[in-house]
Amino acid sequence: MRSKFLSLFGLFLAFSITNGVDSIKPDQFEKLHSLIKPNAGEDKYMQIPWMIDLWEARKKAASEDRPILLWEMDGHPLGCV
Amino acid sequence: MGRELTFADSKIIEVVNKNFVPVAMDDWFQRRRQDAEGEFFRKVADQGPRKGQGGGTRQGIYAFTADGKLLQFRNSQDPDVMLAFLQSALKAWGNLNAAERKAAKAFVPDLQKIDPRYVPSLSKGTLVVNVHARILEKENDFYCHGTCKFPGGNRASHDHLWIREPEWQAMLPMDPKVGHEIVIPENLIYRITRFHLIDNTRGEPPMWARNDVRKASLKLNVESVMANEVKLKLLGGILLSTESDSKNSKRGYDAIVQGVISYDPIKRTISKFNIVVIGDHWGEGSYTGGARPGRSPLGIAFELADPAKPADRVPPQAIREFSGYFDAVR
Repeated sequence: MRSKFLSLFGLFLAFSITNGVDSIKPDQFEKLHSLIKPNAGEDKYMQIPWMIDLWEARKKAASEDRPILLWEMDGHPLGCV
Repeated sequence: MGRELTFADSKIIEVVNKNFVPVAMDDWFQRRRQDAEGEFFRKVADQGPRKGQGGGTRQGIYAFTADGKLLQFRNSQDPDVMLAFLQSALKAWGNLNAAERKAAKAFVPDLQKIDPRYVPSLSKGTLVVNVHARILEKENDFYCHGTCKFPGGNRASHDHLWIREPEWQAMLPMDPKVGHEIVIPENLIYRITRFHLIDNTRGEPPMWARNDVRKASLKLNVESVMANEVKLKLLGGILLSTESDSKNSKRGYDAIVQGVISYDPIKRTISKFNIVVIGDHWGEGSYTGGARPGRSPLGIAFELADPAKPADRVPPQAIREFSGYFDAVR
């Protein structure tokens, strides 16, 4: 019981002291979730219907008689870059 | 920056949508894969200045025909440069002779074989969760969007968490009772902490090493039970630090975790996966310079993705090594 108490106390202490944030109030959870996510209109580059499969893009380009535009990055351009 | 500068430009969006088949790819995989698609990509890239000498990057923006004739290549973020690039590519497209145009329209067969080492694919039943990080500032007992000098560094980042079906099914009790504590698979805890609680707001950051996870106390409990919906509540805290002395470490994240996961107990499907991680982040990586000085608030939000959208099927950044991603506890 004593060790459990100490461990809970330690966890509480860590929360209180080290990050300055102890909890998210229930009425603020959704607000904070929305604040972090992309805003409407923030990701304008997604107004382009990017495909994520080069081979499928080849098929589409051939059938529609259009050139391919490839956005190639080290790290996926629509992901973590 | 391509998102912020080039492809956020309304004129560029218009030209691309009207004339091109747009595709976005990760060069790290494309330049390595040993299959027809990898060979095709390298054949296109090798017509330009970037030939990937020594296994190096071929990143940039390419315009080419479906049979692989390069029309234009540039690696610029400047919208004016890129607009000129698109116009030049369209001019080259218009100047193709009859034989070249015929070749560009030739039937493309299905890809017969892929190199599984470099084509991460969603296994059946995998839960895909969008993960967004954003720099924040404190304002009136709450938060507001943060500001930084790095172009686009104030925007929400994008990544995806993949949770295999046996892992997420294990978190849905068959006979849920309010207050019941659910064991979160250890591998999932380490996958989330090491690969998804990262500051990727300025590009590709270093992931956390196994030993950087100094604390990961996460508790998942049944909060409410109804006939068609069971709500689980996630509470906890994490401390990630490159050195054991987190007060003096070079890079770290000290944050609380709260979330709600809802599921249908009959269909055993997850309908909500909303998690917020909020706390102070500090430091930067070799490729993510320009962090705000000292410790400052970083928020990370998780929510269910829509795998019907191509962008939501982009693999997690950390999956470059499959086994490392799914076996993050090691």
